Amino acid sequence: MSERISLAAGYVPDPLLVSVLACALILAVGEGLTAFRRRRPGVPRRIAAGLLALRLLALASLLAVAFELTLRIEQVTASGRRLVVLVDRSASMALPDAPDEDTAPTTRHARAITAWQDGADARVGWRDDGLVVDVRGFHLHSQPFTGALADTLEGQSDGAGSDLARALSELTQPEPDRAPLAGVVVISDGLVAADAATEGRLDTVAASLGVPITTLFVGAPFIRDASVAEVRAGEFAFVENVTEFEATIVAHGLAGAATEVQLRRNGEVVATERLRLPADGLPAVVRFEVAPDRVGQFVYEIAVPPQPGEATSANNTRAFVVKVLRDKVRVLHVAGRPDWDVRALRTLLRRDPNVELLSYYILRGLDDITREDDTAPLSLIPFPTDELFEEELGSFDLVILHNFDAVPHQVEQYLDNIARYVEEGGALVLIGGDLAFTDLGYGLPELAGLLPVDTRRRSPLEHGAVRPILTEAGRRHPITAWLSAAHEGWSQLPPLDDHNPLPLNPRGDRIGATSLLVHPDGADEEGRERPILAVAEPGRGRIMVLATGSTWRLGFAPDLPLIDGARPYDLLWLGAVRWLLRDDTSGRLTLETDRPRYLVGETVELLATTWSASYAPEPGIAVDWALRPLATMNPSQAPAPDGAAPKPLLEGQWTTDGLGRARHTLEALEVGAYVAWARRELAAGDGTGLAEPNLDPDVDAMGQHEVRRVFIVEPPGRELSRVDADPGLARLARLAEATGGEALVAIEGDTLPRRIALREPEDGRNGLRVDARRDVPLWNGWMALLLLLASFGGEWLLRRRQGEV
Amino acid sequence: MRPVDLTRRTLLTGLGAAALVPVAGLARSVASAPGGSGSRASFDPIPAAPPGPGVFDPTTPDWDDHDPAPFDPFTGNLHGVDSSTITIDLPQLRYEGNWNPRPGAMRVLARELRLRTRLEPALEPGEVAADADALFSTPFLYVAGEGELPPLPPGGEEALRRFIDLGGLILFDAADGGTDPGFVRDVKALLQRIAPASEVAPVGRDHVLYRSFYLVDAPMGRTRTHDHVLGVQDEGRLRALVMRNDLGGALAETNDGLPAYPCTPGGNVQREWAVRFGVNVLLYATCTDYKADRAHVETLLRSRRWR
Repeated sequence: MSERISLAAGYVPDPLLVSVLACALILAVGEGLTAFRRRRPGVPRRIAAGLLALRLLALASLLAVAFELTLRIEQVTASGRRLVVLVDRSASMALPDAPDEDTAPTTRHARAITAWQDGADARVGWRDDGLVVDVRGFHLHSQPFTGALADTLEGQSDGAGSDLARALSELTQPEPDRAPLAGVVVISDGLVAADAATEGRLDTVAASLGVPITTLFVGAPFIRDASVAEVRAGEFAFVENVTEFEATIVAHGLAGAATEVQLRRNGEVVATERLRLPADGLPAVVRFEVAPDRVGQFVYEIAVPPQPGEATSANNTRAFVVKVLRDKVRVLHVAGRPDWDVRALRTLLRRDPNVELLSYYILRGLDDITREDDTAPLSLIPFPTDELFEEELGSFDLVILHNFDAVPHQVEQYLDNIARYVEEGGALVLIGGDLAFTDLGYGLPELAGLLPVDTRRRSPLEHGAVRPILTEAGRRHPITAWLSAAHEGWSQLPPLDDHNPLPLNPRGDRIGATSLLVHPDGADEEGRERPILAVAEPGRGRIMVLATGSTWRLGFAPDLPLIDGARPYDLLWLGAVRWLLRDDTSGRLTLETDRPRYLVGETVELLATTWSASYAPEPGIAVDWALRPLATMNPSQAPAPDGAAPKPLLEGQWTTDGLGRARHTLEALEVGAYVAWARRELAAGDGTGLAEPNLDPDVDAMGQHEVRRVFIVEPPGRELSRVDADPGLARLARLAEATGGEALVAIEGDTLPRRIALREPEDGRNGLRVDARRDVPLWNGWMALLLLLASFGGEWLLRRRQGEV
Repeated sequence: MRPVDLTRRTLLTGLGAAALVPVAGLARSVASAPGGSGSRASFDPIPAAPPGPGVFDPTTPDWDDHDPAPFDPFTGNLHGVDSSTITIDLPQLRYEGNWNPRPGAMRVLARELRLRTRLEPALEPGEVAADADALFSTPFLYVAGEGELPPLPPGGEEALRRFIDLGGLILFDAADGGTDPGFVRDVKALLQRIAPASEVAPVGRDHVLYRSFYLVDAPMGRTRTHDHVLGVQDEGRLRALVMRNDLGGALAETNDGLPAYPCTPGGNVQREWAVRFGVNVLLYATCTDYKADRAHVETLLRSRRWR
């Protein structure tokens, strides 16, 4: 240890002021010297010397004050220089490749170990030269190797990325306690920059480091692999609308091999595309056009089947989440006669911007036409029955036949069409009135068998106030559950004007015919229930029959009660439309994740919200939940051999808070696709209890009170989307050349050199480590002031005594 | 929606692109008579469940055993069925003062609606007070007056405000026909009180009110002083209309069925246009902006080009 003393200026004035000070200093010194050499006769030499000394002392004192000079005393010790070895630990280092097709492949990691062991003598020589060898592994970040790991480089190469730029930038951080960096050795396959931006950043960081970088390339030119390098897909799609997913397939060593690229939805193959794998490194684009057939959130995957001898199958699949939304709901509203009920329903449907409403109302009958003046300009148009009920029927999400007499309008012949439309997933509403169930138009077997009510006999409208009774099923059903929330039931609501006395379909069991509202007088003379509102689910569709044409009364009354701020009419019909369209927001429970995709290590937030029958937040509700992997992306999440779904990873029960919400944070999830499932408690007394959790991700399989959300946990970056090492060879060679290092290639027999390229020592400080430092200010103490006054005053007094002033 | 070939419908209706008519039912009813070939066989039949105890089979004879439909091809109605028609009322507001300057006007409008449209208004329109619950028996209200509109009884204005807020439509009709601004002035003041967020403004010529059934150019009444009607609109919905050409005067009849008042200057032609406008108002009240739907607009434009 030794002591090093130096002066440090605390303040440096402007250059102009410095110039002025310098001139003044030169003049003062010059004048002092002149006075000393040409001293007057009689002035002793020692006096003249004293005057000059006092002048110089005064100037020095002035300079110390002006520049705020400080005396710096440092304790320093000699230190060696540092050589950092960066070893790539990313997953691509575990890929086997070979110099040619005929040579057995070796992993790049194994080549790195071999080269490291072969360079053992060189490493000893580095240390003999006083170099401190610092071995670090890097993938997404770097960390030091210690002990045996630094000697052997064993261990796993499984990092999710290769961020060499970051590893180098960490070396630029000042480390006063460490030996100065003199050189870097990089052992890698060179796949350390995914794009031009990363490449540029790597070059910049390497240049700023200012030391030679020696590279050892451990890759080889021949590899056999097929990968899904890129997927282009939107986050949203619309049901029944064609959407396109596009994938770029890159293959190496498999040119000409035939394969079938698969598109999977929640693990099920929904489309395949034949592909002949392209030549090395050439991209092949595969497009899938699909029209999602139902709304919901789905995990889609594009996958290339594993190829023989493939280096890895981990890059054969790319997954993404697509939320399939309902496009504008197309509603066909056909009314046999304009009236207040038609007005009310039309107004409600028109108010919803998500509804594309197509209406046809019969505005006049034949007798009206015979009386009409032929010359009267009318705005009427024909009733396009062919177009509506044959050509375009499938394009409607919901068909409403509102007090419509099918027979006189030739619609009767289309009823089989309508029946098929419902069975294939359409929604149908029949609304009663004085026309609807009087002409037996709905009594034909094709349709009647699908209806929840018996339409085989005429049911003329019966006038008279009716306050329907809510059935037990109606209390739970989303169309009418709001009535059970209104504790007084229908008694507080306006009565209905009329009803069609339609009995329940006697054979409605097979279609789930259910009465939600029934006539208060009970069964008819044959003992059959008389529903006012009944529903059924024949095939994949849904049907609602409303045996009255006066529900508009629920929205227009002098003392109309509002339920949760909404008109009963709105609650009834919005609930009906939601149920008919299988809108998942119609549920009494919603489940959300904050994002559809997460990087591994990130936390996943689940938020469940429970809603009352009138869709207000409902507190204090128990919600069962579970989390299960979708068993698609991660082989370790594969289903059991017997085909049974794996048990949930996590499960439990929440209780919603005062705002009807329950949150849960999921941590430490592995890479893969997951489905989160939740179900609220069923109403007491339904006799069913809580069944086993149904984790089927098919949204159609969910009950009204069950919800699910899918999400993906994915690795950061796409480490294995690029496997060909050739670009890495060029990249490492360029890096070495740019920094003054040496580019070595393992498969060419290069070994670590005894004489490694290092930065030359710069100055005396090079190799010194500062152990302690002390600063002594020369300008701001009383001594500086005293010295200044004494020197200037002493010179003045001495000159006066000599008679010079 | 795709363009439609109207040929078949035109043949079926025999009336061209004129109306939504039940004549098509005539063709169908003949074609689908027992033993006929009217039922289209081009669609696959809906698979029936295998017959068995307790299993529904829509093709079994007992299921087909339904009443025949006694359809009258000449009227489009059913014989022998008491359909208990749903009627709509056209009530008139009764208040202190000259509330009924054109007696029977709504009765005539109701009759014309029955004769010309499929609406079924009540034979005798009702009368209702502003403060009565009966005000809400129908979401349409006719308010006639002359000279002035006196203050409504306590609670009357609040009831009218709720009436239009819940979706009702009020038709104000000034019997003076534009000669005395008193009634219209009082109506405007009333509307400002019960619908302060909206203003009374002219209803544009492009409004669906002028084509909800007939294509009408101007809101004529007993007079044709004003070429537009005033209205209060909210979110595209007309909540109130102010007719200043005495619609009731054009409609009203004497006991022997003759017009009670002469229409000036257009005589009976003008009266016919007044009736047509009245029809349009009621069709708007029941169908709202139905005729503004894209399908209707496109069809109308096509038919006009054809002409």
